[in-house]
Amino acid sequence: MSEKVFVLGGEQTDFQRNWTKEGKTFMSMMREVLDDALEKVGISYDEIKRLNKENRVAVFVGNFDAEQYANQGHLGAFLTEVNPALFGVPGARYEAACASGSVALDAAITHIRAEDYDLAIVLGVEVMKTVSSSVGGDFLGTAAYYEKEAKGVQFPFPKLFGKLADVILERYELKEERFMDALAEISRINYANAKRNPKAQTRTWFMNKEHAMARGGANNMAVGGRLCITDCSQVTDGAAVTILASKDYAKEYAKKTGRKIDDIPRVKGWGHRVAPITFEAKKQESIGDKYILPWTRQTVKDAYKRADLDVKNIDVFETHDCFTSSEYAAISAFGISEPGKEHIAIEEGTIDFGGKKPINPSGGLIGVGHPVGASGVRMMLDLYKQVTGTAGDYQVKGAKNGLMLNIGGSATTNFVFIVGK
Amino acid sequence: MREIKTVTILGANGAMGSGSAGVIAAFGGAKVHMLARDVEKAKQGIEAAVASVKTDTIRARMIPGSYDADLEKAVAESDWVFELVAESYEVKEPINARIAKARRPGTIVSTVSSGLSIGRLAKAYDEDGQKHYYGTHFFNPPYKMILCELVTHSGNDKKVTQALGEYLEKVLGRAVVYTNDTPAFAGNRIGFQLMNEVAHFAEKYADKGGIALMDEIMSGYTGRAMGPLATADFVGLDVHKAIVDNIYDNTKDEAHETFKLPGYFQKLIDAGKLGMKSGGGLTKVVKHADGKREKFVYNIKTGEYDPYPKFDIPFIKEARQKIKDSDYKGAMDVVKNASGFEAEIARYFISRYISYSLSLVGEVVDTKENTDGAMGFGFNWVPASAFVDFLGGPKETIKMMEASKIPVPKLLKDAKEGKKFYELGDKLDARSLFKG
Repeated sequence: MSEKVFVLGGEQTDFQRNWTKEGKTFMSMMREVLDDALEKVGISYDEIKRLNKENRVAVFVGNFDAEQYANQGHLGAFLTEVNPALFGVPGARYEAACASGSVALDAAITHIRAEDYDLAIVLGVEVMKTVSSSVGGDFLGTAAYYEKEAKGVQFPFPKLFGKLADVILERYELKEERFMDALAEISRINYANAKRNPKAQTRTWFMNKEHAMARGGANNMAVGGRLCITDCSQVTDGAAVTILASKDYAKEYAKKTGRKIDDIPRVKGWGHRVAPITFEAKKQESIGDKYILPWTRQTVKDAYKRADLDVKNIDVFETHDCFTSSEYAAISAFGISEPGKEHIAIEEGTIDFGGKKPINPSGGLIGVGHPVGASGVRMMLDLYKQVTGTAGDYQVKGAKNGLMLNIGGSATTNFVFIVGK
Repeated sequence: MREIKTVTILGANGAMGSGSAGVIAAFGGAKVHMLARDVEKAKQGIEAAVASVKTDTIRARMIPGSYDADLEKAVAESDWVFELVAESYEVKEPINARIAKARRPGTIVSTVSSGLSIGRLAKAYDEDGQKHYYGTHFFNPPYKMILCELVTHSGNDKKVTQALGEYLEKVLGRAVVYTNDTPAFAGNRIGFQLMNEVAHFAEKYADKGGIALMDEIMSGYTGRAMGPLATADFVGLDVHKAIVDNIYDNTKDEAHETFKLPGYFQKLIDAGKLGMKSGGGLTKVVKHADGKREKFVYNIKTGEYDPYPKFDIPFIKEARQKIKDSDYKGAMDVVKNASGFEAEIARYFISRYISYSLSLVGEVVDTKENTDGAMGFGFNWVPASAFVDFLGGPKETIKMMEASKIPVPKLLKDAKEGKKFYELGDKLDARSLFKG
């Protein structure tokens, strides 16, 4: 498949912005991010008009919950409000909780592979600062089995991922102090990386290892079992666009922009698996397995197989660190360490910015922020930046291949993409 | 990178002292001597510092002390002495004399000041001390407002300046703007020019809506979260007076007359009505028996407080809708083409703001990116250069300035058409500062 789908780039909004405070909406966010992305990639609205005449372009909108956060559905049609050039362009909204961006990417990739379209605009968007954190927490509960896992529970997701931390600790018989230290190090790395990213939500926030270790108390409250605020990503308003193209269009684009087609990265592999929706069912199913999240591991394996690559070929990872425990579990799922030995990879600096297998040089969800429906698209954009050497201050030297893991729910919907040149 | 392990804060119990100390102890990981008039006040400063950056981890490395008992010892072991005592030569100079005697060669000493001469304050020091003496003008509250104006004077060493700038930026996470030692430096010089001239217009148009009308005309669609007069009320009319008086007395530029304090400001100050901090000034909020709050505005003609009016100005409504839709150029087109005296005032002040900001390049700062940074990070106002782009480029902006009889700065005359004029886009998205 690596000869089928090319990544031309894109743009994201500044995840530090609060659009409600600015008196703006999801609609204005879509307009800004799409205008910015097209400008950055060098594709005009006239070009979209041209492609649309031949039915060669489509848009894919990733969004989790605009109905509740913004009182608006039917987002796939909203790009027509961005610019009249998009009148008539096929467009729809895709939803898979926090993996909404990835399911939109998946649809776009599939259509390009099937040679339905030559250009796919994938836009992930979520406004979340329209409501208080407790109301938002309840909305997010619908990404779990609401009736069984979230109804009446304050902040259900930290609690679900707190349970994941409990299972990791028990299943691998880890020393609690060492495990919690490893989780704190994950926080430290993500916040430190985000400081180099000019679009990160937390780039001006204070965080260090000492603070991450100081769990409990008013300044780092427990929110889900062992997990405290510093173990959590935080929701924000944000949107991201990644533009994908067929080989034919990539050739045209390369010629027009004076590049070689070999310089344009491509989607080399993908994986998509859905685990049982409740955390309890996941836990039961994984008993006896080396991996606590076997379907996450399987998704990674599927992607490696399709790309004909392995962990040794991957230079940079963007993972779904909605909580430190999810990033911890991802380390072995990627094959960076054996399951149960993730803490050693962390202690040895393997996943740090300057390490052998850096994870989340962008800052990840913990550092960049987590506008739910946009995160998957933002990860793909970050892989594009890394493998094209355009990530600026957070560039991993010499990155050729990157892998992203985007999950929805409590590691229920799992998506992996591998991007490289 | 300069290593700063130990810092002494003088004025540790003030809002700026405790807030700055919090940033230094947290981001910088430094041991901080917190000095105040007495140890109890210093301890209060430590608690305020912890609350400002929300981490208990800094408490253990903050040491309370008093000027009388601890200044010399603390200064002698510090890599940086940050003085934040009251804003006057009479208070700062005697403290500087003591710091000068106690400091080790190489120790940086800096002051937070809104407008005192850094060169004059530096005179308390020997040659090495002068080389290492700076203005580090943090903004309030320091954790949230990341601007730091790094004010240099003729006795500084460029290498030290560079090292200090790097430390402030990379370690403490400040947005550093380099300014020369001129009255009020960059941010306040530009910001208070606009605020004070708007205050004069409020008097001139007192019959038409005065203070409330001027803030409506200069509201969020012109690129600021808070109206200029609401900002003056927020910082305090006494502080406002101190800043504009200082600029008026010590500068002679094209906007000189606009720095004269309006008579009604003085009247309010004399009556102790200093703004929000004293329960009322240009506006006041009254809490009724049923718990409801009502906002009032000072009537410049009558000296009474009237209920805060609502306005219905069609071009402002239209511009706000455009901003809400993220159509910034469309909003500026509305402003450029609207008729009526309110639109003329809006065009006048946008022109004045751009003109005055750019006119200070060469005197107060070396590049326009410094004035842009000062306004964007320090005041949360859309920087002047970004305005030029939203207005459609230099030619369009010059056209508006000329119609408003505002001088056109050379920098704008020389600007290339068709090229982005705003260059801080990667650091600060100016669009985020417009409010719809």
